[in-house]
Amino acid sequence: MGEFTVHRVRFFHYMPSAVRALAFQPQRQKIAVARTDGSLEILNRADHLFQEKVIPGREQRGTEALAWAGQRLFSAGLNGELVEYDMQELREKYRLDASGGPVWTLTCNPQGTRLAVGCEDGTVKLFEVCDDGIQFERNLAKQKGRILSLSWHPSGSRLVAGMAGVIWVFDAGTGQSVHRLLVERGTGAPRSKECVVWSVVCLSDGTIVSGDSSGNVKVWDGDTGTLIRNHQVTKWDVLALSVSQDETSLVAGTSEGTVVQFQHLSVVLGREDKEWVQTRTFKNHTHDVRAVLELDTAVVSGGMDTQLVVRPLLDKIDVKTSASALRKIHFPHRRLVSCSRTARLLLFQHRIHLELWRLGESEGTGVPGSSLPIKRKPEKLLHLKTKGEEHICCSALSPCGGWVVVSTVTNLRLYRLQCDETISITKVSKLPKVVSSANQICFSSDSSYLFTASTCSSVHVLALSQSGCTFVCTLKPKSCSGQAILLLTASDDGKWLAAANADHEVQVYNLQKRKAYCTVPVYSSGVTAMSINPATNNLFMVHADQQIFEFSLEQKQYTDWSRLVHRKGLHPQWLERDTPVTNVTFSPRNPAHVILHDMYMFCIIDQTLPLPERNSQLVNQLTLRSLPEKERRAHSHAFKICKTFKELLFVELLEDQSLVVIERPLLDITAQLPPPVRQKKFAT
Amino acid sequence: MAAQQRGVSHSNLEEITIGQMSASSEDEGPEEVAFDASKTVALKSMKDALESVKRYSPLVNVRRKHFNVFKEKRLPQTLLEELETVPQNDCSHHCLGVNTNCKCNLRYHPVAGSSLQGNCSVMWVKDRSTAYSLQQSAMDFVHARLYGPGTQRTTNAQVLSLERKRGLNQGAAVQFVNKKLAEQKAKAERTNKRFIRKQKLIPS
Repeated sequence: MGEFTVHRVRFFHYMPSAVRALAFQPQRQKIAVARTDGSLEILNRADHLFQEKVIPGREQRGTEALAWAGQRLFSAGLNGELVEYDMQELREKYRLDASGGPVWTLTCNPQGTRLAVGCEDGTVKLFEVCDDGIQFERNLAKQKGRILSLSWHPSGSRLVAGMAGVIWVFDAGTGQSVHRLLVERGTGAPRSKECVVWSVVCLSDGTIVSGDSSGNVKVWDGDTGTLIRNHQVTKWDVLALSVSQDETSLVAGTSEGTVVQFQHLSVVLGREDKEWVQTRTFKNHTHDVRAVLELDTAVVSGGMDTQLVVRPLLDKIDVKTSASALRKIHFPHRRLVSCSRTARLLLFQHRIHLELWRLGESEGTGVPGSSLPIKRKPEKLLHLKTKGEEHICCSALSPCGGWVVVSTVTNLRLYRLQCDETISITKVSKLPKVVSSANQICFSSDSSYLFTASTCSSVHVLALSQSGCTFVCTLKPKSCSGQAILLLTASDDGKWLAAANADHEVQVYNLQKRKAYCTVPVYSSGVTAMSINPATNNLFMVHADQQIFEFSLEQKQYTDWSRLVHRKGLHPQWLERDTPVTNVTFSPRNPAHVILHDMYMFCIIDQTLPLPERNSQLVNQLTLRSLPEKERRAHSHAFKICKTFKELLFVELLEDQSLVVIERPLLDITAQLPPPVRQKKFAT
Repeated sequence: MAAQQRGVSHSNLEEITIGQMSASSEDEGPEEVAFDASKTVALKSMKDALESVKRYSPLVNVRRKHFNVFKEKRLPQTLLEELETVPQNDCSHHCLGVNTNCKCNLRYHPVAGSSLQGNCSVMWVKDRSTAYSLQQSAMDFVHARLYGPGTQRTTNAQVLSLERKRGLNQGAAVQFVNKKLAEQKAKAERTNKRFIRKQKLIPS
């Protein structure tokens, strides 16, 4: 395969934010994840938990609660506003002030017609979900204290509200309180510290389950207003509760990082009387778990350690498959880094700023595995802050290193960059009015054109020159499904442009004729990374289920190599990987080499070599090295995987055949997290 | 007055002792003083001593001085009227009223003919909306409940060290690098270079 000088980059200080709320939409199997920085992610459970859509947040606007009302998504935060999101355009549709102070909780009734909002001033406000928005309906009886958690009864007739030290049961029709359940302070708690009910769940037989700050999960009878059973689950707080659709299983997330499962079983076999029994405990988090979701066959949990854990609940497994494996999602499923190969520059996208770095240089050669002496250190050239409070949606660096473009949800900025002796950056002031924002941006390979993805799956083409930026045309697809474009890639010779949208469609445009050329046959899984091979003009796509396709743009059909891969099938170890491929590049010297990477490995696919057999070893580079020269030919196959570098965010091949590998060790992320609980362990 | 009191008490004691001594020199029995009377005399002298200490303790003097200072230094009515006429800046920063160290790039107007002392200048403070303060207090509530006192939290380094100690691959404890040390080192290097160049220690 060859030897590469590797630039091992660890100065991208990417810091994800904590998971605050989770919501599940059963019709389309979408999981919505809200983070403390206000951003929203939509994961598709039917497509290997691929992170399809990301809506960036704003400064000082964290989300506290999320709720789906049918296909519509609503969120509320401590700034007192309710927000509805536009899933097609990936932005906020509108904001409505709830006028009750900070909003702590939001929940939708099972019929999808009303939203209940719990506010700081002690009121529970009901909003009606109309076609074009939400409308305030009424306030329920005002209480003293803040409403911290809400839950609808499955019939929609009752609401349960959890506060500090008390749980109120309201009648949703009259608005009056029906029952008052007093929550006792835990043993050993001081008199001044009331027991805060962080989460409540109301079941269809009237049972109310509450999780509070004393670490108790209490089961109450909602009809009489009495406590049935008290389970002390942890010494710290129980922060989140979630019940399954069929109400047989309940999970509680705690401050310790454990997720405790309760099941509705009869204690003695054969008897009819069932009660909630604590069954399993999962410890998959190191910090507080602030949101849990009980899907019938899996438990999704997220918290302050910023990772999302999906733990399948399949009880009896014969064969270990990817569906029964624990899945942890650490990094986003999209690129946050742009690289200019010729100028050796890297652009890092953070939340409100961009960083431009120049790579260092080394001298001499060495043995594989050794580190070379550095002649010049990598240097940070630019720290570009965006104006305003909005977080960055996407950014790009041109291949020549002369242009930087950054876009938020409402505006797009283009900068001209000069990095020779002195670094200078000038903003291009007059941009065409058509281009207001973009959720994907791509430069052409000669940096003369800029492609921005806009509404309704269309792409704007802008021409870049010394004088500035002019609008050329808009490329529209033949049949518009309206979904947002997630990936854009342009070919090296400037003839083709491919756009992949959230509906799993990949549209190819002919840039010379400036119109739609063809569409790639729709595949059931979404595209996670794609690129056009400069030598052969083949579109290389990797999907969320780890399948690989190669589509010839000139012939409008799959290539022979792609058909061979699908006839033979990919190696099972390749298909079992649980992190998606986020970047595909090619080697300029060798057109048959494809370089791709996911979080834990990078791989060079040699299309001239045979594909691996099912029962052979996939990661065999080390064994090949130990074999003598003659036998290597017989055993080598197309997939050359390297697992030396872990926790990868980006891998790229530069012009001088050196690799850039950007790692973000999870230990560095852990160093900056808030403090975890102190657990006293025996003999420590 | 206190000296007189002290003198009185002393003289009382002196009287008693002299009385006793004179009595003994005359070979007579000691003067019979009733217990109650002597008790009241002793208690009175103690009370007088305590009172005198209270009145003249150094702290009391300091408190008095402070009070007098604040009494004197209230802004006069004329100055307040002058301040009202200063034009209000449309500032998006919020900074404390009288603060010469603030780094915002506002132009603040020194009030002409002002009776302020020293280099004080006047700035208008932006009205923080109630929504922001409510949001802040809500966030403080959650923070206090989860990370406040009594929540038994530890550091990330501790947890990782424990894992290393008890895990499968045991290793040394984890201690995160203090990034400020790197900055200090770079600063020290630069100052050294400057010093050497200035003092011309290395002949060029």
